[in-house]
Amino acid sequence: MEATERFVRGKGRYVGDIELPGTLHLAIIRSKYARARLLRVEGGISGRDLSAVIPDVGEGARGESWKIKQPVFATGQVNYLGQPVAAVYADNKYLAEDLMDSVDVSYEPMQPVLDEQEAMTAEPIHPGLNSNVATDQFIGKDFEEKDAEVVLDDAFKIGRIATDPIETRGILVNYDGSRLNVWVSTQAMFSIRNGLCATLGLPITSVRVMQADTGGAFGSKSAMYPEYAIAAFVSMKTRRPVKWLESRKEHLTASRPGRGVSGSMKLFAKRDGTVIGLKGEIIVNGGAYLDGLARFSPMFIGMQLTGPYAIRNGYIRAISVVTNTPPLGPYRGAGRPEAAFFRERMMDLLADELKLDPAEIRIKNATDQVFTNPFGMRIIGSRQFMTEAFDSLEYYKLAREPNGRRGVGISCFVLVPALMEGESCKLKVDNGRIKAWLGGNSHGQAHEVFVRKLIGSTLDVSTGVVDVQPGDTDMITSGVGVWGSRSAIVAGYATVLASQTLKEKVVKTKGLYTPEYLLAGNYEAEVLNEKFDDPSLNSFGANLVTVDVDELGEVTVEECRSYYDVGNALNREMVKGQIAGGMAQGISSVLYEGLIFSKDGTLLTDSIASAGVPPARELPHFVTGITEHPSSLPHGAKGVGEAPTIGVPPALVRAIEKATGVRIRNIPIHPEVLIGPKK
Amino acid sequence: MKISVNVNGRNVDADVEPRKLLVDFIRDDLHLTGTHVGCDTSSCGACTVLLDGVAVKSCTMFAVQANNRNITTIEGLSKGDELHRLQSAFIEEGGLQCGYCTPGMIMTSAWLLSNNAAPTEEEIRNGISGNLCRCTGYDSIIRSIQKASSDRRGGRK
Ligand code: FES
Ligand code: FES
Repeated sequence: MEATERFVRGKGRYVGDIELPGTLHLAIIRSKYARARLLRVEGGISGRDLSAVIPDVGEGARGESWKIKQPVFATGQVNYLGQPVAAVYADNKYLAEDLMDSVDVSYEPMQPVLDEQEAMTAEPIHPGLNSNVATDQFIGKDFEEKDAEVVLDDAFKIGRIATDPIETRGILVNYDGSRLNVWVSTQAMFSIRNGLCATLGLPITSVRVMQADTGGAFGSKSAMYPEYAIAAFVSMKTRRPVKWLESRKEHLTASRPGRGVSGSMKLFAKRDGTVIGLKGEIIVNGGAYLDGLARFSPMFIGMQLTGPYAIRNGYIRAISVVTNTPPLGPYRGAGRPEAAFFRERMMDLLADELKLDPAEIRIKNATDQVFTNPFGMRIIGSRQFMTEAFDSLEYYKLAREPNGRRGVGISCFVLVPALMEGESCKLKVDNGRIKAWLGGNSHGQAHEVFVRKLIGSTLDVSTGVVDVQPGDTDMITSGVGVWGSRSAIVAGYATVLASQTLKEKVVKTKGLYTPEYLLAGNYEAEVLNEKFDDPSLNSFGANLVTVDVDELGEVTVEECRSYYDVGNALNREMVKGQIAGGMAQGISSVLYEGLIFSKDGTLLTDSIASAGVPPARELPHFVTGITEHPSSLPHGAKGVGEAPTIGVPPALVRAIEKATGVRIRNIPIHPEVLIGPKK
Repeated sequence: MKISVNVNGRNVDADVEPRKLLVDFIRDDLHLTGTHVGCDTSSCGACTVLLDGVAVKSCTMFAVQANNRNITTIEGLSKGDELHRLQSAFIEEGGLQCGYCTPGMIMTSAWLLSNNAAPTEEEIRNGISGNLCRCTGYDSIIRSIQKASSDRRGGRK
């Protein structure tokens, strides 16, 4: 049965749905404080029983974790609200929750450091550190400022956001006496396997990870987490299956949130609107423990700051800090939306300063050829794309209409997909059918559709003979994961390469290739592609948003349109579905969402509603425009998944600014700032 | 406590703890895992079922409160192999991505259409606003419901 049919029938197999006899249910006792000395932990299992640290795996992993490593259980000191302190288990979750009261924890609260700017000067939060600054690097090259006729500076802040998939995290572990069999809701089964092995000191061969149906992820389900190690530990200790399902309240502090960045920018330009350089400082709130993604994030943001424009000079200070907040993770876009927000805000400011049209100033700074920016990022010519985009979005028409309390905003950006380490695909022909496995599997992106299509077209077989298998680390040698707008590109390419390998094998044995020869035989191919160096994979996008803002500060989004170059769309309907879903997240990241802590570190947004996941009545109808300029890969794919969370926020913020006359520097927007007559 | 409920047309007698939520009774005792859990504040609607034909969030009541009542879960919506028109419409219009919100969304939609055979877009938006979807942005869900509504009026089952 197709995945979609299983889902509409209620026959999905999410991790919470998998039942093994004798399963124990795990409940985690978590820190009540953002920062405190841990005076006593009595009862349950805790750091005394399992003393281990979380390795750096998953999206953005750099292998080495930072010198302060995240423990599975806190000992000595707790460093963020929700940090695991102890765990209990019982035959069902009601009994496990009852048992939580049997664990006695006493704390001595300390003043937490929550904000990235505050962290720069505050006392170090971790004993043994000299400062809260984890990384501090300059990228680009310092440059002379004397040619500039206009110099503008401004400072911005993007708050933390929970990823909030409707299915929270969950894991089921069954230790069978020699191996750990793991079912998990994840974007990256190999990261979970490698993470479990590293945390518990197990050989790779002793862990098998099977990806359950995964109910959304948006970044938070690629990392290794303490709860996974605890579940595995308890299963090994008790020789029983152990299940842990995250509650929503837990999700809001125990799963890694995204964003949380301050940026100050200085733009140098000529009076004709040509931008000649950009300087600035980026400070990323890495949370209590920084993995590779958090430490690299300020550089990743910095290096994209020129976006689709040919800005020749750039010099950015890129800083990451530790704070008493949950460890930073990726959230749809992961650095890309931050870069676009800072840059597009400056482009709008420049347009206002020079009294030029925002579209005109963007086209003026576009490039006609391949351009390498001061930080090494390469793009292909962007001018033609932008010209087409503003026409297609009907910007000129909408901008001319009388506005009153209405406003129109546009944005342009580059989507830099995460291609590092490539992806794997294994194909096996047997009994007239082709089985396909991927190293990174769908959690709502319908990989099976493009896999079938690419195998069908490469091997000239009906897509009906292809069976795409669920993710299982025992069935394929290696793999990476699903994030960073990568799958159509890297997994698609791996599928094409594996298909071509099958073809060659048929030619080798039969002298020539025919689909009949292929399906009559037994063939196998496995490919991991690794190297991608092609600026055409950095794709362009533009958005247009119109709003109406009433005197009470209530924002109504009227139009939300995209014009994205998605390369060769392997499945137009899925592409458009991804865009609509992403645009909803783009809007809510500006208007509704946010993880808000009080000064003492209490989470004020502790439900999915108060964290701002919007229902249908708060969102508009989306116009999902695409254009298809194939990349240079054989299947022509480019990325798309993150485009809307990159492009929508700056366009929406500009529209609100035009409607209200209030310059907006911080998102999410607090509606108070919009109240009152137009400025 | 002993309860007796009719679930998807079948009578079930069970002994449940008074504190057990209806959603846990459905999932853990009846093994009908199409009814999902997405929150702990009755905000997400992933757990929606029909109770005597009315959409309810099954995490907001105890199993014992369903005593002597009729429950329809997502598994009871189709007639064997034959999908309900809402289920077909969700597939045809791409009304799902990860599928996790889908059963709840479809149950709410069934209740919506039983009260209003031809809802406007605005009525649909309001009608499904107790159900959260993080993947689709809702447009494709709204199209799916509109399609099911016109299929019904066009005589399709
Ligand atoms: S689980 Fe019932 S409303 Fe969320
Ligand atoms: S389809 Fe994923 S939450 Fe709705």
